Amino acid sequence: MTIDERPVETASAGTGREHPAYSSTRYPEKLRIERKMTFGIGLFKGMAVTLKHLFKHNTVIQYPEVKQDLSPRTRGVIALKEENCTVCMLCARECPDWCIYIDSHKETLPPKRAGGRPRKRNVLDRFAIDYALCMYCGICVEVCPYDALFWSREFEYAEFDIRELTHEKEKLSDWMASVLPPPSLEQGAELPGQAAAPIAAGGAGPGSAQRPAPPAAVTAAAERPEQAAKATATATAAAPAPSAASPSQTQAGETAAPDSVARATEEKVETHTGDALAGAVTDAGPSGPDAAVSPTEAAGTGAAVAKDDAVTSEPGVGASTSESGPAGGLEPLSGTSAVSSTQPGVDVAKYQENPGPNVEVPHEEPRPRALEPTEDADAVYSEVLQGQLEKGSSPQVAEARAKVAKVKAQRGIKRGPTPVYTPNLVPSAPTQGHEDPSVPSGAPEATPPEPDPGPVASTAQEPAAGAAPPASRASQPDPPEAETAGAEASSGGAASSPDSPAPEDPEAAYERVLAEERAKGSSDPVAMGRAKAARVRAQKAKGSA
Amino acid sequence: MSGLTLATIVPDIHFTAWEILAVKLVVVLVTVPVVSLIGGYVLHKELAHLQQRLGPMYPGGFHGWGQTLADGIKFIFKEDIIPLTADKWVFSLAPALIYVPAIMLYLVIPMDRNLIVENLDVGVFYLLAIGSIATIGVLMAGWSSANKYSLLGALRAAAQLIAYELPIVLMVAVVAMLAGTLSILGIVEKQSWPFILWPPGIGLVAFLVFFTGAMAEMTLPPFDMPVAESEIITGPFTEYTGMRFIFGFFGAEMAHMVAFAGIITTLFLGGFMPIVPWHPLTYIPGIIWFLAKTSFMVFLMIWIRFTFPRLREDQLQQFAWKFLIPVSLVNILAAGAWVLYAPSWLWK
Repeated sequence: MTIDERPVETASAGTGREHPAYSSTRYPEKLRIERKMTFGIGLFKGMAVTLKHLFKHNTVIQYPEVKQDLSPRTRGVIALKEENCTVCMLCARECPDWCIYIDSHKETLPPKRAGGRPRKRNVLDRFAIDYALCMYCGICVEVCPYDALFWSREFEYAEFDIRELTHEKEKLSDWMASVLPPPSLEQGAELPGQAAAPIAAGGAGPGSAQRPAPPAAVTAAAERPEQAAKATATATAAAPAPSAASPSQTQAGETAAPDSVARATEEKVETHTGDALAGAVTDAGPSGPDAAVSPTEAAGTGAAVAKDDAVTSEPGVGASTSESGPAGGLEPLSGTSAVSSTQPGVDVAKYQENPGPNVEVPHEEPRPRALEPTEDADAVYSEVLQGQLEKGSSPQVAEARAKVAKVKAQRGIKRGPTPVYTPNLVPSAPTQGHEDPSVPSGAPEATPPEPDPGPVASTAQEPAAGAAPPASRASQPDPPEAETAGAEASSGGAASSPDSPAPEDPEAAYERVLAEERAKGSSDPVAMGRAKAARVRAQKAKGSA
Repeated sequence: MSGLTLATIVPDIHFTAWEILAVKLVVVLVTVPVVSLIGGYVLHKELAHLQQRLGPMYPGGFHGWGQTLADGIKFIFKEDIIPLTADKWVFSLAPALIYVPAIMLYLVIPMDRNLIVENLDVGVFYLLAIGSIATIGVLMAGWSSANKYSLLGALRAAAQLIAYELPIVLMVAVVAMLAGTLSILGIVEKQSWPFILWPPGIGLVAFLVFFTGAMAEMTLPPFDMPVAESEIITGPFTEYTGMRFIFGFFGAEMAHMVAFAGIITTLFLGGFMPIVPWHPLTYIPGIIWFLAKTSFMVFLMIWIRFTFPRLREDQLQQFAWKFLIPVSLVNILAAGAWVLYAPSWLWK
């Protein structure tokens, strides 16, 4: 069948020449007449369209003179927050282009105290991204578990030599200055801290769950490195500012609890006042008080604070910030905290002052909003001071701890240890017999950490709690490490530490602790948990003996 | 009205004919390239703004006024390549044969009552004759390039010229009939009302047909089939480089465009006359009127040029033979009837 023989729909229309698509059946006569009548109108319509565009405002951005206001999520260049990097190599492994080069070596750090366990740590030697290969997929930024990689909007780093496009870690760190603060959450969005710390939120007061956390203590403290360094260098034990944290400790996260710093200065531990950026991870180990929390974990938590600081309702983080003391915590902590301002040769002000109209810098409370004060602050102060002095702490330490307790009381922060459960707590090597919970001492009860309902979520061990009277923290046991550290660090620690008694029968310990707890009024699960823990300890003590 | 003349500028000096010729030559040879450059600049800018862009912004400083100048200098310094198999003499002469007629068109366009290089008695014939010579240059370029695309483009240009020369000639005849003279200055002075407005209908149709035909004869888009770059590269100019290319192609195009805008202004829009015969308007110098009208026509040409897509070659021919020429014939009949039978108080 040829084309001509094909039955044509337009046969009924009478003109066999018509194309089927424009036949009268599919293309009504009325429309065709209309088309004929408006012949040529389309030309003028077209000219009207172009004329309209002639008078519209042009959309050209004259680039070198006028910079486009890029979206806050522009994938310009990847910045490295070096102190957060743990050399986990996830980014390098996930990179589809294999354009990330990481070199590192392991370092063995001396134990923190006599008999302690030497610790190993990865030290980043080289971190380089070859932007000649990078395809800006952002997988490395997504995959980084420690918030060490960020997108920056900077894009003007073209080079005449392709080798220059491999940015080493110094250059990558410099890009951090241009990283924007995280965008604020949408209205009504779930707050990031809620899912993270349900226990903490549940145990806290009604007002604490929604309390936005203050800006990250990390940056806040980092903004005053000279001040901190000076305080440390002079080793002023009575320094009123608990913010005398060495920059390294401050950078390492909120592990720089004030009294631990005070202890460090008291013991004349050589704190590292070097470059806060470079020495952050390195120095946190030896000088930090955290026996259990590894430096990497501390750094990770600190970064979490830095990243979630916009709206974080995790009360623990907030509390840890406020713990940086009256001098540190009460200062107005504003600004964009994801940007570390201590990096040399970096223009931070440009981004903090004018990040561009598209960028909404989240509004931040200048300081942590106070909760309902639960206790009389002055009473708490004198109480804690008295307790510390009785315990044998030096006056400086006692004063510092009392101050912390006072501030906490003022802000309605429940004092207590961290509720963050660290699954692999590395127990310190047994130094002195402190395992027996039956012997009362200045140190708090040594029960294993449990998901504590307290609002304090600091990953740092909270030695301040150790100074509180036992009655006020009956339900807030310290982890043994904190207790150890606290007891050991205080000048009277050795005297007040009990001697190791004869190992107790595990079952007897269980029954005894259970009875004690019930007498104290603890709930059954808590009491049983502590009793079980006591049994385990007794078994261990028995085994070692 | 005092027109600008050489006599008014330098009244007491007497020139020989050769000196006057030399001065005129210099004036024309300076004016036309400058006009080409300005036309090219306007083209760049208008196209850009029609697309909500900025166009050239840097050369020269202020809004890129030096863009076309820089382009021209660049092309002049480029290597002049003549294909090995090309007919060298014809190939070399073709751009001149395209550009020189474009210059010659300016000779008879009156910018003011006295500001005209040569007031020919048969100025309209001169315009028609000179306006068609460029096509011969295009044919020469295409033929001598030894390139199939060039030849195709040249033949398209020739066919286009033949098709669109006819309506143009007919419409110029209408104008001459209405004015009763072949002198361009005479035609302008007859237009107390521009022909586009009066006599009713005839002048408007004549204007539209002439405008369309002029666009096609200049091979401006949407009638740029001879240089349709998606089909035949650059048509007759495919093999040209450097100075020959810029003068034969862009320079001639711009010169032609402005020249035809001036011709349309002269023949249909009243030339240097005020737009309406109202006394206060006559205090505005005629050259201002002329330049304003010409600029508007250039604007219109560029506007159309960048609004419509290119026609197909067969559509082009159909449009000329099936539409424009019949309309022209009807119009010239109507013009004849008007001249013969319309009462004289209506238009004289």
